[in-house]
Amino acid sequence: MAKLELPEETRARVEAAGEADLLIAIPAALRPDQVRAEAERALAHLATTGDYARLRTVVSYPGEAGAANGNEAVPEAESAAGPRFLPYAPPAAQLSAISSISWLAPAATYRFLFNLAAELKVKAMAVAAPDLALLQTNSLGSLVAPTLDGGWDLAMPVYPAGKLEGLLNSSILSPLPRALYGRRVRFPLAQDFAVSARMVSASAQPRSLPSPEAHSLFWPATEAVLRGCKICQVPIGVHRVNAAEGIDLSTVLGLTVGPLFGEMETHAALWQRIRGAEPVGGAGSPAPAPEDGAAADPRSMLETFQLGFRNLQEIWSMVLPQATLLELKRLSRLSAEQFRMPDDLWVRIIYDFALAHRLRTISRGHLLGALTPLYLGWVAAHVLEIGSAYPAEAAQRVERLARAYEDGKPYLLSRWRWPDRFNP
Amino acid sequence: MKQPGSASDPLWYKDAIIYELHVRAFMDSNNDGIGDFQGLIDKLDYVQDLGVTCIWLLPFFPSPLRDDGYDISDYMSVNPSYGTLEDFKRFLEQAHNRNLQVMIELVINHTSDQHSWFQRARHAPKGSPERDFYVWSDTDHLYQGARIIFTDTEKSNWTWDPEAQAYYWHRFFSHQPDLNYDNPQVLEEVLRIMRFWLDMGVDGLRIDAIPYLVERDGTNCENLPETHAVMKRIRKAIDEEYAGRMLLAEANQWPTDVRPYFGDGDECHMAFHFPLMPRIYMALRQEDRLPITDIMAQTPDLPENCQWGIFLRNHDELTLEMVSDDERDYMYLAYSADPRMRINIGIRRRLAPLVDNNRRRIELLNSLLFSFPGTPILYYGDEIGMGDNIYLGDRNGVRTPMQWTADRNAGFSRAIPARLYSPVVMDPVWGYQAVNVESEQSDPSSLLNWMRNMIALRKLFQVFGRGRLTFLHAANRKILAYVREDENEKILCVANLSRFAQPVELKLEAYEGMVPVEMLGYVEFPRIGSKPYPLTIGPYGFLWLELQPAPSVEAGETARALVLQVAGASDWMSILEGNGRREMEETLLKDFLERQRWFGGKSHSIAGVTIEDWAQMEGASWALALVEVVYAAAPPETYLLPMATSFGAAAAALREEHAGSVIAQLASGEEEGVLHDALFDPAAGRALLEILSTGGVLRSRKGLIRGLPASRLASLLDGVDGSPPPRVSSAEQSNTSLLFGDKLILKLFRRQQKGPNPDTEIGRYLTESSQFPNIAPFGGSIERQRDGEEPSTLAMLQGLVRNQGDGWLWTAEELDRYYEACVPQAFPWNALPQARPEVRPGLLELSEMPESEAAREHVGAYLDAASMLGVRTAEMHLALAAPTSEPAFAPVRMSRQDAERLRQEFVDHGGGAFDALKESLSRLPDGVVELAGLVLSRRRQAIDRFLQIPAHDLQVLRTRIHGDYHLGQVLRVKGDFVILDFEGEPARPLEERRTKQPPLKDVAGMMRSFSYAAFAAVNRHTARRPGDFQKLEPWARLWELSATSAFLRGYRERVKGLDLVPAAPAVFEQILAAYLLDKALYELTYELNNRPAWVRIPLSGILALLP
Repeated sequence: MAKLELPEETRARVEAAGEADLLIAIPAALRPDQVRAEAERALAHLATTGDYARLRTVVSYPGEAGAANGNEAVPEAESAAGPRFLPYAPPAAQLSAISSISWLAPAATYRFLFNLAAELKVKAMAVAAPDLALLQTNSLGSLVAPTLDGGWDLAMPVYPAGKLEGLLNSSILSPLPRALYGRRVRFPLAQDFAVSARMVSASAQPRSLPSPEAHSLFWPATEAVLRGCKICQVPIGVHRVNAAEGIDLSTVLGLTVGPLFGEMETHAALWQRIRGAEPVGGAGSPAPAPEDGAAADPRSMLETFQLGFRNLQEIWSMVLPQATLLELKRLSRLSAEQFRMPDDLWVRIIYDFALAHRLRTISRGHLLGALTPLYLGWVAAHVLEIGSAYPAEAAQRVERLARAYEDGKPYLLSRWRWPDRFNP
Repeated sequence: MKQPGSASDPLWYKDAIIYELHVRAFMDSNNDGIGDFQGLIDKLDYVQDLGVTCIWLLPFFPSPLRDDGYDISDYMSVNPSYGTLEDFKRFLEQAHNRNLQVMIELVINHTSDQHSWFQRARHAPKGSPERDFYVWSDTDHLYQGARIIFTDTEKSNWTWDPEAQAYYWHRFFSHQPDLNYDNPQVLEEVLRIMRFWLDMGVDGLRIDAIPYLVERDGTNCENLPETHAVMKRIRKAIDEEYAGRMLLAEANQWPTDVRPYFGDGDECHMAFHFPLMPRIYMALRQEDRLPITDIMAQTPDLPENCQWGIFLRNHDELTLEMVSDDERDYMYLAYSADPRMRINIGIRRRLAPLVDNNRRRIELLNSLLFSFPGTPILYYGDEIGMGDNIYLGDRNGVRTPMQWTADRNAGFSRAIPARLYSPVVMDPVWGYQAVNVESEQSDPSSLLNWMRNMIALRKLFQVFGRGRLTFLHAANRKILAYVREDENEKILCVANLSRFAQPVELKLEAYEGMVPVEMLGYVEFPRIGSKPYPLTIGPYGFLWLELQPAPSVEAGETARALVLQVAGASDWMSILEGNGRREMEETLLKDFLERQRWFGGKSHSIAGVTIEDWAQMEGASWALALVEVVYAAAPPETYLLPMATSFGAAAAALREEHAGSVIAQLASGEEEGVLHDALFDPAAGRALLEILSTGGVLRSRKGLIRGLPASRLASLLDGVDGSPPPRVSSAEQSNTSLLFGDKLILKLFRRQQKGPNPDTEIGRYLTESSQFPNIAPFGGSIERQRDGEEPSTLAMLQGLVRNQGDGWLWTAEELDRYYEACVPQAFPWNALPQARPEVRPGLLELSEMPESEAAREHVGAYLDAASMLGVRTAEMHLALAAPTSEPAFAPVRMSRQDAERLRQEFVDHGGGAFDALKESLSRLPDGVVELAGLVLSRRRQAIDRFLQIPAHDLQVLRTRIHGDYHLGQVLRVKGDFVILDFEGEPARPLEERRTKQPPLKDVAGMMRSFSYAAFAAVNRHTARRPGDFQKLEPWARLWELSATSAFLRGYRERVKGLDLVPAAPAVFEQILAAYLLDKALYELTYELNNRPAWVRIPLSGILALLP
């Protein structure tokens, strides 16, 4: 077999580390000084479950040799059960624009971690977000158990979320891949997940990937579908909200939705074959939804939408068909009390933006900028609709939107395959 | 440093779309009037945007340019007019960065006369290695068998060289001397050149003029074995030193002559399909699909790693070498009214002018190009509908500059027009002001945008590049319809070759239940039913329809909408009674049944499904149900459906791994689960085995279900406890089997009929009562007795028999070896006169014919096997004919009424088969129509044959027989045979399958099976080597005769003196012949309905029986 793509220095460290059962991989170390302590603590907790007491574990994170508080690059474990630490030099791609959002790492970084895991011949790999919350909340075991013992190839987390949290995920990042790739994964861009040896081996790459991967994101569930791997979801007690705080919304859309649209072009032959969406496997009980913080004010978002309608008509009309524009015009005249964004309208907007992204109808940066007021319009409508609803009702509302994505997929297919502007 | 190729998939060329261009004609970056590599780099975004995946560069090497660069004077450099080697490398890198592969030319048949090798050869002494780089002769009379290719310019393939004082050989222009491959140094030099370019990262090489590499006197100097040896050397070098590279052969020959250039996948990866191109144009003009279907019928299958290259136009003339004289005349009249349009043996025009610039014709031809088996190759400019200039010499009229814009020189160059290497096309229709990239890019309805969409669409479906092609022979020949399919995808393509709208009815029974989805707009068409599928196609219209499985969608939707509420895993009352039962009967069961392979009612419209009866074991999560399916226009049927419930991870795993087994979603409190086919629940499988082995009893709503263990069960169960969980066998079609390790097989009879299943009944009888050892050991059964009715069989247990394959597969392998050995040999007619078609030994003669030494020498040990099979068949019949007190098995004499009934059955079956043949005549493959006509002419003779059976007491014994006896029903086991599957023909009613019949029916079945095996193997062999059919036919007859004779001999010897078959030779022969004919006519009906491509076998069989 061809050698997997790894920097020579890292390869030397891997060879020195030998084989392992579990790799805990951290794509970006925000707090490298804490990695060792948190990992040891989490693994000690994991060992209390009995079955995992003798796991040979390697913890890998970006850093120079000896960066882990002055330890050796690959220190000997203090006991048979103790972890070994393996700092690695981050691939160049990690320095791309994506890294401006702390919790996002480019696909190339994840590919690198898969290669690392493959070289270590692990039975499972857990990818932990750089804030190490996975380790701190003792959720590591919940995530790796299905891949070590349960026969699953990919364990995705289900984070507890308030009804007004994670709206970008609920409105686009979750339902769109679900409709495309046919798996009902709640948090497809999760920062924590675990994979089996089978998926590690299927996803490791013996050669450099084309440069665009430096600017794309890693979607674990999509990768699993591509490789024919089995997916399950596991509720974990890590509460993640407002991860993009301090960054303007257009940038966030550009860095998340943009790569998602890009993936659609790459995997068109795959998603166009898939109809409907299947539930994925599940294990464990969901954590209770946290209380929502202060209620968001939809009025300013509505104003942004209305301003967008006045100023961005020209761009929208290059992307959206007449029927959609007409509906948007009607919406722009509604008061806050009346304002609702129908699911099928929102779905068609997203599908038409995806198509325009593929056709490069306008520059991709401008395109995703033009999506921002529309997204805020959706958020405003959503907040207005579910503001006083029970969490279960809110969850059902999100599920209904996801179904609308599935039902609208033939529209996307017809537009994608024959992108004639002369349409209804 | 050696660079890797750019493609990660080694078979990338199978999915490629190739764009052929000349650097000189594409884009001029330095304003010297000649296109160059920098210009090409500047236009790579355009090429990428078009969607093509591979660029084929015409020769760009230093050359005197007397044959558009195919006269190369230096192989390892770039013509300075186009740039430098560094420019080429930059182009290669830029193309690879855009995920575009690059193919270049390897012109190895000849060089320019300006090449240093030729200049050196002219001056070198005769016989020296330098001189021997080319083919020299003192006379021009050598190789007289070789044709002249460029008839317009060359009068001979030899030209006198005054310097060398000898003639030199050239298959093309006289300034292109042929290299001499008898000199090993030449091939070494060619390999060196090849490595030079491949080391840079070039992905493919087009080997020009491949058939002419080697010359031999007394031949036509084309396609010689020595040429193939050269190609194998080149391929070997590539495979050893590079990955992901491709060789494309240019061999303007018939497909069967091109086929050897693929070797066994060890010569070229690709070759052009030259004869297809003119026939596409001919079919279009004649509005008749025949030219296309005819040439495709002559197109042999290729090794897995090989591919045809197909095209509508290229840089040469539309070649008419591979058509008949009449066809050539027609093409000249149809497509080249002006004699200036003709050159050599072809027409020098581009695509758009050839079809009078009719947009719909252009689209239709491209739709064929993109959907036919092979890799499509586009010629630059055809994507915008560029025209040509027939007033330019040679083929230069189709090699004019690319038309980019309406600006000066078509945007190709900023040079003064007079400096251009060729004038741009300027007339009002085709001129660059009217046809150019810029205007078409801004026109949403342009041909360019259409092409871009079509290319993108084609790339979504790998089946176009890799799938099989099957023509649908619709009655309307103006319609060309075909299906492209592989394991994952099925696409129906329909094209109207006519200028008017056309109706068509397509026979799509094989795809019944599927929904065609129009691929361009993702529009669903009506579901395919059992009747012919009607379509109307507009003038020059075409449809690409993806055939999608409809039921699973509906079932998926239903399953999504319906959740049955239950109170625990064993709450069967909530599922099979009350509200649950209503949901099951109204929606869920229908959806589920239509998705099951074993469900036999797919061709009928279901009027309703009811749960007829069910039983559960106390507290168990599985139950046995019988569901009755009522059809709108067919008698009702009952099916056995074991069901189980699963929750949590088990339910998730079922959804993931056996989605087709899920009947409904369940909810039990907070827990989600599924109701599914119980055979995917190991606990249910073990419980069924338990019931059978312990004689357990379950009370159902309307009767009893009980296990009936056989006497041998205890020994069969030995070791089963430790075996892995039972698993569902994937081999079954109409039933479902559970495998318990490698010990036992529990077969569930899905379609339930009243009365014992013959398989169980005979299995039990042969084991318990007659002790016939050559069957799979019978372990018992599970039966259901509805109150007041005869019991019916739900399941049967047998021991698994270790074997070397079933008789059909084992025989097929023997035959493959036999034909491989026979092909090189001339048939020994003198030693084996009985293999002559006109020699037709009678059946008795056949059974008494002594084994000839020659037959033994060739057919070998199979004769012993056939004889052994005859003996075992006789023993099975003797066991079934033994005196017994069991009425179901007691043999009876055939009465006069029986004989009359049999005679009438034969006549009815035969008449039906002849009617079906007559009705199908217009749809049969062209190659068998004559044979079918001959068979139809024998109708009277066949009926007479049946009527000759005397209607009096024939002294024939009727016994229980196998009933569906052929090679697939026996297993080869350590030099012996085990006989399986006594179920009879599943499509017939149970009562009929249990009827006692003359054992000769089984004998006839096996004899026809020998015939099928012999000719099916010929079909397999000739699919690879079509030319071998004539050679193999006598060998096939020899094998069939010898095997049949050995089988009959073995059978007759074993029953000699016993009262099993008619003692009177005439009656024996009459009954056996009638059964043989009946069987062959049955096969004919079956093949007409299911496999028209196989219809030749029963047709030949019938003719052999009715000489």
